[in-house]
Formats: sequence, C-alpha cells, structure tokens
Amino acid sequence: MDILQQLNSAPVYLICGLIVAFVAAVCVVFMVRAWRAGIAIGMDKTKMKRAITASATFSVLPSVGILLGVIALSGSLGTPWPWLRLSVIGALHYETQVAQAAAEQVGMGTLSAASMTPSGFATIALLMSVCIMWGMVLSVFFNKRYTRKLGAGSGEGKGGGFGDLAMTAMFIGLVSAYIGSYVGGFVSGGGLFTFGGDWTPLVVVAAACLAMAGFMVLSEKKKMAWLDSFSIAGSMIVGMAAAVLAGAMA
Amino acid sequence: MNETFERYNRRTHIIGRAVTVATLIMLLGAPFCIGGVLGAMPDLGAVARAFLSVGLVWTVSSVVEFLVYTPMLGAGGGYLAFITGNLINMKIPCAVNARDMVGAKTGTAENEIISTLSIATSSLVTILVLALGVLLLAPLQPVLQSPVLRPAFDNVVPALFGAMAYRYYRRNMDIALTPLVLMSALFIFVPSLTGSTSFMVIPSGGIAIAIAYLLYKKGRKGASN
Repeated sequence: MDILQQLNSAPVYLICGLIVAFVAAVCVVFMVRAWRAGIAIGMDKTKMKRAITASATFSVLPSVGILLGVIALSGSLGTPWPWLRLSVIGALHYETQVAQAAAEQVGMGTLSAASMTPSGFATIALLMSVCIMWGMVLSVFFNKRYTRKLGAGSGEGKGGGFGDLAMTAMFIGLVSAYIGSYVGGFVSGGGLFTFGGDWTPLVVVAAACLAMAGFMVLSEKKKMAWLDSFSIAGSMIVGMAAAVLAGAMA
Repeated sequence: MNETFERYNRRTHIIGRAVTVATLIMLLGAPFCIGGVLGAMPDLGAVARAFLSVGLVWTVSSVVEFLVYTPMLGAGGGYLAFITGNLINMKIPCAVNARDMVGAKTGTAENEIISTLSIATSSLVTILVLALGVLLLAPLQPVLQSPVLRPAFDNVVPALFGAMAYRYYRRNMDIALTPLVLMSALFIFVPSLTGSTSFMVIPSGGIAIAIAYLLYKKGRKGASN
C-alpha cells in the first residue's frame, strides 16, 4: 500500500470524520442555544431567520473555494487530513503555506506524495495543528475577560456609541487592505510601476461592487427587501463570472 | 431580559471553553492517532525546529486576530469562529453582514445572538459543502479544476470583498478613502507586502478607526453603517 492509499484509508477517514462530526455538533448546540436565548429576550424571529438565511447563502461560494484547497492538498497529504483541517480551525491561505514550510523542515524539500513518508506526514500534521491553535488557546483563557471588558456580549450595552462605528471602521480597514493589495499587485506585481501584474482581482472587485450596487437599488428602491439576503452571494457570482471572462480574454 | 441573557452568556463561556479544550485535544491528538495507523509517530524535534522557523509568525498572527476580531464576533461567535477557522475569508464578513442586515448594534444582546447564529450557520454550511465535496471528489474534481472555471475559484476573496466594499464604502467614504489610498500606495511601492496582507489589516484598520474617531468627536459621524 503506497502512502496516499494509507492516508486515504478508512481508519484515517474515521479519525478525521469523528472530529468534524464533533465540531458540527458544537455548531448545532451553539445555534440552538442562541436561537432559544434570542426568543427568551424577545428578539424578532424574522430577524434571526434572516441572519441564518443570509449567512447560509453567503457561505456557499467561499466554501466551494475552500473545497478547492482540500483538493489541492489531497495530492500530497491524502484527502481526510486536509478535509479535517479546512472544516475545523484551518484557513485556506494558511494551510498550504504551513504544510510546505513543514515539509521543508522535515527534509522533504517540497510537499509531494512522492517524497512523503508516514513519519513525515505525522510531523507535518502535528506542526499544522500547533501553529494555528493559538486563537483557540487565547479564547479559552481570555474570551470571557476580553468580551466583558469591551462590554460586548454582556447584554448591557445599548449600542449606538463609538464602539459600533469602530467595528465598521475596522472592517473597512480590512477590505481596504485587500483591495489595496490588488491595486499594488496590478501596478507593481510585474515590476515597480510596470502595470504588468494580475488585473483579474481588480476586475472581480469592480464587477462584484457594481452587482452589489444593483442589488441594493432593487432591495431599497424597488421594495424587494427579500433580495438583500442573497445580495452578497449574487454579487460574488457576478464577480467570479467576470474572472472567468477575464481568464478567457487573457 | 438582562438576567436571562446573563445566564445564557455565563453558560456560553462554560460550554465555549469546554468544547474549545476538547477540540484542541482532538486536533493535537489526531496526528498521533493517524501516526499509530501509519506505524510512525511525529518527530517532535522537527516539530519544535519548524515551529521556531515558521510557527512564531502564525502565533503573532493568532494573537492579533484574537484581539482584533473577538470584539466583532462577541463571546459565542468568538469561540465558534476560532474553532472553525477561515476568519478573514468567511466568518468575519459573514458575521458583519448578518449584523448589518438586521441592524444589530455592537455590545448589545441582539448582536451577540445574531453573531453566534451567523457563525454557526456559516460553519455548518462549510462542513456540509466540504463533506459533500469529499464524498463526490472524483466527479467534482475535473469540473472544479477545469482551466475555464479556475479563475473564478481563484478569485473568491476579491469577489467577496468587492461586494462588501460597496456595502460599507457607500455610506462611509469619508472613513474609507484614506486607508484605501494609503494601502494602495504602500502595496504599489512595496509589492512584496502582498504576501503579508493579513498583517497589513492592522495598520489599515487602525487608520480607519482613528479617522472614524475624529469624525465621531466632531459629531459628523453617527454609529450607523
């Protein structure tokens, strides 16, 4: 049995599947508790349903993108481990980088099934877990203290202060950093001010932006409020379609 | 209401801590269990060396993520998001979008509930899509990896941020303009920074918050999105 067959064997699927099932159960528990608490404090059920619908539609396309990460890593690490990593705790941009760095550290040179050994795999898998576990560790020790200090989740806040605006500003900063990186990638990605870098992300941003503007007009001005729950997913589809067109033109 | 919510919140921390510790144990134990199946254990020396060379960067990143994103996620959402991962490319925008859609304000019980519902739903969708994807890997692989569709899936994050940009910029251009221009200029002059975009979120967010604070103090900006 070669290494990929071993990594794709039933016992490995079982180990990874049990952990994924545990985390899915945790999500269900948190969801049910939040729903019940929402009703107990008098929240509007329609609002909660809307949040669930919007979050579900929002998450489908990024999840398919994450699935591609599983496929990409499955050639060297088998399917169950990347499936576990990207279902639980992992991050798409992180896994490949750390797996590659770990492969170099265990003397494999490059991450590939050809040079993978059972010990190499176990070492890489452990390193991937150790490197990204700190957010969870910090949550265990500091989430309670931190959220109470901020007043978030205490239920005592009335909202509407600077905290709310600060969160919006932080998110604007996040989006600006990424869009700035696409601008920089295009202008200087192929050499300083050569405008020879990848322009596809900028086309995608513009297309998704325009589509969102269209959705907002429809939902706000044409009284089609139900569209709002699908506006992000719809805009993303338009943006991704623009990427396909840009790819065909390139 | 406060007493009911306070009780819910206390239990959230108890459950959140317990399941986080359990998940941590399982994630750290899995490589040893799989190693047992394969007949080889992890090389702990190599893990320590590799951690010193690559892991420290991710440790710093995790600390920053915890400090920056926990206030956005709330208590329950925070535990769930750090267990399920994919924060920047999914959980944060998802929770922010849900919060915005129902008009929940930071620090309120409503925000805590909506954030938890949003992240739990998002995580379940990812788990379901990945499980189906793994189940149907053979027929799906050629479609998803086809050269025609490849650019679409390579650009999921720009599509997401493009859509979110319109939503947030249109009412906050006075906040967004400066970080957008500064970040673009920075990435143009130092293109190698594109590999560290997640770190550049910190100065970019800091600038946006500082501008928002100035506008707030001058009374030109309310708390609405």
